[in-house]
Amino acid sequence: MQQSYNFPADTAVLAKIGELVANAGRSAGFDDIEIGDIQLALDEVCTNTIIHGLKSDHSKKFQLVIQWNQGEIEILIHESGEPFDPMDLDDPNLENLLEGPSAGGLGLYFLRELMDEADFRIGRDGVKTWRIVKRKA
Amino acid sequence: MKIEENILNDVSRVSLEGRFDADTCDTVEAFIRERIEKGRSQFVLNMENVPFISSAGLRVVIIIARELRNEYQGDLHISALQPTVNKVFEISGLNNVLRIFDDAEDATLGFSK
Ligand SMILES: Nc1ncnc2c1ncn2[C@@H]1O[C@H](COP(=O)(O)OP(=O)(O)OP(=O)(O)O)[C@@H](O)[C@H]1O
Ligand SMILES: [Mg+2]
Repeated sequence: MQQSYNFPADTAVLAKIGELVANAGRSAGFDDIEIGDIQLALDEVCTNTIIHGLKSDHSKKFQLVIQWNQGEIEILIHESGEPFDPMDLDDPNLENLLEGPSAGGLGLYFLRELMDEADFRIGRDGVKTWRIVKRKA
Repeated sequence: MKIEENILNDVSRVSLEGRFDADTCDTVEAFIRERIEKGRSQFVLNMENVPFISSAGLRVVIIIARELRNEYQGDLHISALQPTVNKVFEISGLNNVLRIFDDAEDATLGFSK
């Protein structure tokens, strides 16, 4: 199964995206905890896409593609806003969350922890794509 | 996001209903900050009716807890986490630095101990 959507860069769409991916995850046979993992990972990518990539400009859009089979879900998020390289980032300091200078940087950490695959590329046309995959254990 | 406040023994219990994400985190932060400005420093954040939290929600929890501890000798107690939300507190390590209670009553009593 495959579904494709376009959403405006508005955090108000996050709840809807959470519902869509939960339905897909359920059809693919994931349990509630696994669906929670997938929802969080996708929410983090979409939040970054909306806020960092597209600067919450409601006139800009990003594309979401959700595809699944029994026991596996693959999600693609395409966006052409601010360029960035996730390799440049450090891990968050989990020991000192309450002391550290900033409280950020958890989003991509969750993504790596919760999904079986999470990769990022920038096409020659400047389109940034995240691809995240989860399989049933 | 629906937010409600009940005050018990000088502890402000803030109960959330809905997703705690990038879309709603500012509302929660502003709500608590308003009460801090009025002189409150002991808070329970009751999450019984929060089915989802993202890093944006956690960031508000971190910032408020840090401020209450460092500047007001207060604290933010967390209560009634649903299983998927609890998992997010665990993988972030926040469960090691915040006081998390099974229900709002315990979290409120936690201030008198
Ligand atoms: N789609 C994107 N476009 C541009 N920059 C991005 C994008 N996604 C992430 N980034 C950059 O990567 C950084 C790390 O992202 P991450 O989600 O881990 O943390 P955060 O968004 O800063 O904070 P948090 O997610 O914990 O609230 C961001 O601060 C931002 O600079
Ligand atoms: Mg983020």
